Amino acid sequence: MLIYICKRLVAAIATVILIMAVTFFLMNTIPGSPFLTEKSTPQQIELANQKYGLDKPLIVQFKNYLVNYAHGDLGVSLKMQEGTPVKTILFHQGKFQLSVRLGIIAILVAIAFGIPLGCISAYKRGSWLDGFLRVLTTFGIAIPVFVLAATLLVFFGVKLGWLPTLSGSLTSWKAYIMPIISLSFYDLCYIAKLTRTTMLDAINQDYIRTARAKGVKNRVIILKHALRNSLIPVITVLGPMIAFIIAGAFVVETTFSIPGIGKYFVESIINRDYTIIMATTVILSIVVIMMNLVVDIAYKIVDPRITLSSSDE
Amino acid sequence: MKQAFKKLSPFHVDPDKVWADYDLTALDFEPATVSEREDMVEERKSVSYWSDAARRFKRNTVSMVALFVFIVMLLFAFLGPALIPYDYSKQYRSAQKLGPGEFSQQEALVKSIEDDVDCMYATALQPGSMTALDARDYYFKFKGDTYAFTLDEKLADAVIILQGDKLSIVKESQINNGTITGSTPLSYTSEPSDSAKELDVVKSVFPHMVGTDSQGRDLLARTMYGARVSLIVGIIAAFIVLIIGSLYGSISGLCGGAVDFVMMRFVDLIYSVPEVLIVLLLQVVLKDPLQAWFDSSDTWFANALSTLGAGIVSIFITFGLLYWISMSRVVRGQVLMLKKQEFVTAATALGASNGRIIKRHLLPNCVGQLVIMTCLQIPSAIFLESFLSFLGLGVSAPMASLGSLCSDALGTLTIFPYRLLFPGAILTIILLSLNLVGDGLRDALDPRLKK
Repeated sequence: MLIYICKRLVAAIATVILIMAVTFFLMNTIPGSPFLTEKSTPQQIELANQKYGLDKPLIVQFKNYLVNYAHGDLGVSLKMQEGTPVKTILFHQGKFQLSVRLGIIAILVAIAFGIPLGCISAYKRGSWLDGFLRVLTTFGIAIPVFVLAATLLVFFGVKLGWLPTLSGSLTSWKAYIMPIISLSFYDLCYIAKLTRTTMLDAINQDYIRTARAKGVKNRVIILKHALRNSLIPVITVLGPMIAFIIAGAFVVETTFSIPGIGKYFVESIINRDYTIIMATTVILSIVVIMMNLVVDIAYKIVDPRITLSSSDE
Repeated sequence: MKQAFKKLSPFHVDPDKVWADYDLTALDFEPATVSEREDMVEERKSVSYWSDAARRFKRNTVSMVALFVFIVMLLFAFLGPALIPYDYSKQYRSAQKLGPGEFSQQEALVKSIEDDVDCMYATALQPGSMTALDARDYYFKFKGDTYAFTLDEKLADAVIILQGDKLSIVKESQINNGTITGSTPLSYTSEPSDSAKELDVVKSVFPHMVGTDSQGRDLLARTMYGARVSLIVGIIAAFIVLIIGSLYGSISGLCGGAVDFVMMRFVDLIYSVPEVLIVLLLQVVLKDPLQAWFDSSDTWFANALSTLGAGIVSIFITFGLLYWISMSRVVRGQVLMLKKQEFVTAATALGASNGRIIKRHLLPNCVGQLVIMTCLQIPSAIFLESFLSFLGLGVSAPMASLGSLCSDALGTLTIFPYRLLFPGAILTIILLSLNLVGDGLRDALDPRLKK
């Protein structure tokens, strides 16, 4: 167990360093200096280069870059909030917290609704309810986040006027509804589909037949025997789910004008504010990689049948 | 069913009858002739893998409907632009911000007189800066005849109409409630001069079925074009993934040992990278260098890529860098499994070369998996492209993709919701139908997986 965790940690750190190396490499391939403006003279650029250590050899720069990031120094914004440290922008202006809150709620909603829907679908297999849920989940996997978000916005925000069209900083509970639905819908449908499949798989197992033969109630069989075993594959999708939620957050925050890290990231991309792009990419990548690690370890703890020694799937 | 069987079976004996009741003659005990024997043996052709799969696919109603819908979408994207007279990039100044089925004021004006005339040239219906005609020679063709005429002065806000053999200019002020109140006759010949310019005549005014955008571009034409771009991007990206993924996976699977180990650790490494973030980063960073390369290079390759635009090419690059992982894993798994099968051992024992084993034994057995993976890769590529275009990366104007159309419409969503809902619906239908076709293909080509 410990060996496995150590191995995975080493792999995770290697991945983070790879990502940092890639971002560093890409940062240096961008033509022109970050300090190049219409007014700047060559001397000023040179001074700025010296100040930020851009005149040193690449390998030294890379070392400094790694050390700085390890110390939490993410550089300063080049365009959008010129001169402000990226760390202040991302963490001290409430952006990161807002997005994290939104993301966690979306994940919880996806799990809280996805699993029961999958169970109902499997339990009532072949009924009209199962048919309806299957159509809904198939549809939910195909529809892009931005189409869903915009459709909700048009119908509930504009046509019916029930919910606010601009969610802002999410001050009222009403503002949460549409962003959360759009953010969690794909994962909700995916989890429901997966739960249905694994549940049907579990129902056909011998231990269910034994429980039936013993005279255990149908409800108990489903909740106690089938559900517990069918949840194991669901845990594995939680890792990729976080990556999806982050990607969805870019779109949802842009659509509903929520000033979170996702919207800011998109704006920094459009404005080509490279330090912000790099810092956000690295931070979010670390979040995703660490969550994947946690999920994988949890998966092996939940299902003791899986041997911890092999790193293969 | 049972009755039919009774009649057909020559061996059937009715238990209620006694032997004497059967009219048996000595002839019944003669050996059967060749033709009789052939009639008895039911002909059954051996069913090949592909026809078997096709049969299974055809039986799957959902997949067949999805395939039909996808074909309709293909026709919409590739044949559709030929059916409507609007171009995706042409801006009609008079026709900005129209709703579905609406006509601009000038279009309505021209439409109101169209029943009275054979054909016309309307300055208001021409795109962009062509709304006025300079003073020079012109000609147009109608029903095989050529009409050439000369304009003495610049002409704007007017319609040139042909009624029978009379050609005349009608100013817009001369049209009142759809009736022509006055016109200036225009003399014409059938021989255009060398410097004459050809005009595109209008036979009827075509409605903007889903409206126009703020620049006066027809939204239906743009959606058709956008769907075409999205589909082409999806298909090319899927093929890039197919080539890289299957090559990498088969090399890894075939070589085995240390090579396999190193190659698969590399795959694991890339697998744990969150793709979306790196894709966004690559999109931003690749755009300028690619554009610079397109501008400086003059080879056919660079020219071909530059017509696609830097945004789309960088999508292909990201697919080539990051998205072949799952394909290579599946192919490697297949190759590893097949490598140990008896028929490969037998082929090796018979002295077949490695190339022959790959070509005759390994590849044909992988094809099913490759088809499924490639088919499911197309919607994922379309999705990624639309996602990037929605965020303002990917394709750039005047090019359009379904994602960029949605992105353009976002700013005016509360006023013109149909501008987003129409391309969004088309995108969803394409993704849904492709996903369902992919699922159907998986069930048909790999029945072992079917639950």
